[in-house]
Amino acid sequence: MARTGNKNIQAKLVLLGDMGTGKTSLVLRFVTGKFLEYQESTIGAAFFTQVLSLNEATIKFDIWDTAGQERYHSLAPMYYRGAAAAVVVYDITSMESFVRAKKWVQELQRQANPTLIMFLAGNKADLEEKRKVGFEEGEQYAKENGLVFLETSAKTAQNVNELFYEIAKKLAKASPSRPTGIKLHSRSQQNSRRMFCCS
Amino acid sequence: MFGTQSQRDLSLEFQSQIPILRPSIHTRRANLTVKFQDLYGFTVEGNVDDVNVLNEVREKVRQQGRVWWSLEANKGANWYLQPSISEGIALKSSLKFSALANAITLKRLIRKGIPPVLRPKVWFSLSGAAKKKSTVPESYYNDLIKATEGKVTPATRQIDHDLPRTFPGHPWLDTPEGHAALRRVLVGYSFRDSDVGYCQGLNYVAALLLLVMKTEEDAFWMLAVLLENVLVNDCYTNNLSGCHVEQRVFKDFLAKKCPRIAMHLEAMEFDVSLVATEWFLCLFSKSLPSETTLRVWDILFYEGAKVILHVALAIFKMKEEQLLITHHVGDVISILQRTTHHLFDPEELLTVAFDKIGSMTTNNISKQRKKQEPAVMKELDQRFRRLNSLKLDDK
Ligand SMILES: Nc1nc2c(ncn2[C@@H]2O[C@H](COP(=O)(O)OP(=O)(O)OP(=O)(O)O)[C@@H](O)[C@H]2O)c(=O)[nH]1
Ligand SMILES: [Mg+2]
Repeated sequence: MARTGNKNIQAKLVLLGDMGTGKTSLVLRFVTGKFLEYQESTIGAAFFTQVLSLNEATIKFDIWDTAGQERYHSLAPMYYRGAAAAVVVYDITSMESFVRAKKWVQELQRQANPTLIMFLAGNKADLEEKRKVGFEEGEQYAKENGLVFLETSAKTAQNVNELFYEIAKKLAKASPSRPTGIKLHSRSQQNSRRMFCCS
Repeated sequence: MFGTQSQRDLSLEFQSQIPILRPSIHTRRANLTVKFQDLYGFTVEGNVDDVNVLNEVREKVRQQGRVWWSLEANKGANWYLQPSISEGIALKSSLKFSALANAITLKRLIRKGIPPVLRPKVWFSLSGAAKKKSTVPESYYNDLIKATEGKVTPATRQIDHDLPRTFPGHPWLDTPEGHAALRRVLVGYSFRDSDVGYCQGLNYVAALLLLVMKTEEDAFWMLAVLLENVLVNDCYTNNLSGCHVEQRVFKDFLAKKCPRIAMHLEAMEFDVSLVATEWFLCLFSKSLPSETTLRVWDILFYEGAKVILHVALAIFKMKEEQLLITHHVGDVISILQRTTHHLFDPEELLTVAFDKIGSMTTNNISKQRKKQEPAVMKELDQRFRRLNSLKLDDK
């Protein structure tokens, strides 16, 4: 669909969170629409692009999907530097991953771009019977810290597109007064479903 | 020594390992992507050109095999099982001329590739794994595995989590038997070196070692020699400091060896570590086709860790012109990925890696590492403090 006269926004998005919480699965669900029961673990980071068209703007996401293991932590700044948005992911069946998520939020609040838009995603919402982190717990923490909160499932696709749409909307709203991290882009969009995966 | 009979057996086994790939007529007509299994059981997607390249590579592997057999016939079966070149140089005065000549032949030969059937034996002795194993009691590995049985540690939990996520879909690795073998190797190593414990990335490395070495115990010793002797220290420990150092060394060499690319990428604010980190930690096993990866490892186990730098530089160098006209991070990454995924011809890569990149002496590389170490330590330390102060604020 051709939309004339709307903004083109290029935005760097980073996903952070404990290993195995489903970062890669969320991105792949968004970019390819697919889900794999066994997703290769990410080393370093993987890069993807995806374009989302809203009425008011076209957002071209540069997505950095990072490795979750604790010792990879020291690589993270390279990936969140200059990011316009971040999704911190935890697994609702693991309290440990929720604790890790809070640490990520703190770190981003101190170290990242001050205008960074932050989302908190409680993933694997399909595993209700194994739930360890209550919905209210996630919601409450997000509220206190000014994050947007969603529970998602990469497996069932629940709230996955919503997550990225919400991010896009926030970016579109923020873009005029936000020079860092977002490049207004005049080049026309070539390809809306390209995927680059570092594996 | 091998008799003629066993030599024939070896080459037969060798031949049967290498079926010719024949894309169907349909795929030949259209330039469609075809899927097939490579020598090590990995599913590869490529076009018909790729299949042709792979067939040529297999023919070359076969020829290379014949060179090795004829050398065995000439010099005796285990002629290459002697001190490696680096050790050899230290012992130079005492080395006989023939040994030195053998070492030179061997280096050249290894750069041209070790035939897949000989890989387990040649790697095991030339890497120093055999020597390492010989310093402990015969039962070391079995005892270690027995001692770890039923133990649960953070490392074992992470390993269990990653077993089905290591090359999923591989016809052997992704079976209960494959998972169990990989588990024992990784868990065993996590107990051998608790500083390393388990680092994601090692799962891919150990998996490929298992496929090559055939026996689990030999794969374990290859992993040990790799982490303890071949690679730089602390690549996989705690905060990956060794990996950080190596990335900086790599950036320095890129600026020296490929200045135009380095400048262009810097102007784009593209940090090469964004892509190279995975190459260094997985030793290309997640990026290059398997036979190409193993050709790199052939040289790695004989000449040492500088090979990784050579190959990483070569990947950039090969695409210099294309990289110079990129304007966007995504384009750089897509060029590099397309390149690595399609490098079915190891020769293409290794020629650039050694002839075009030119020599980097081990001495010079060590100097660079020493130079970078303090800066890395300082940076990691500052980060650590900042994060700790976050925790304190928390209370
Ligand atoms: N049931 C369920 N499983 C999921 C979901 N998302 C991911 N998984 C599974 O959880 C495992 C880990 O998913 P990944 O997407 O690889 O997790 P990651 O956060 O990228 O992990 P690292 O790369 O190791 O940091 C995979 O086996 C997925 O199939 C989900 O929403 N529901
Ligand atoms: Mg991942």
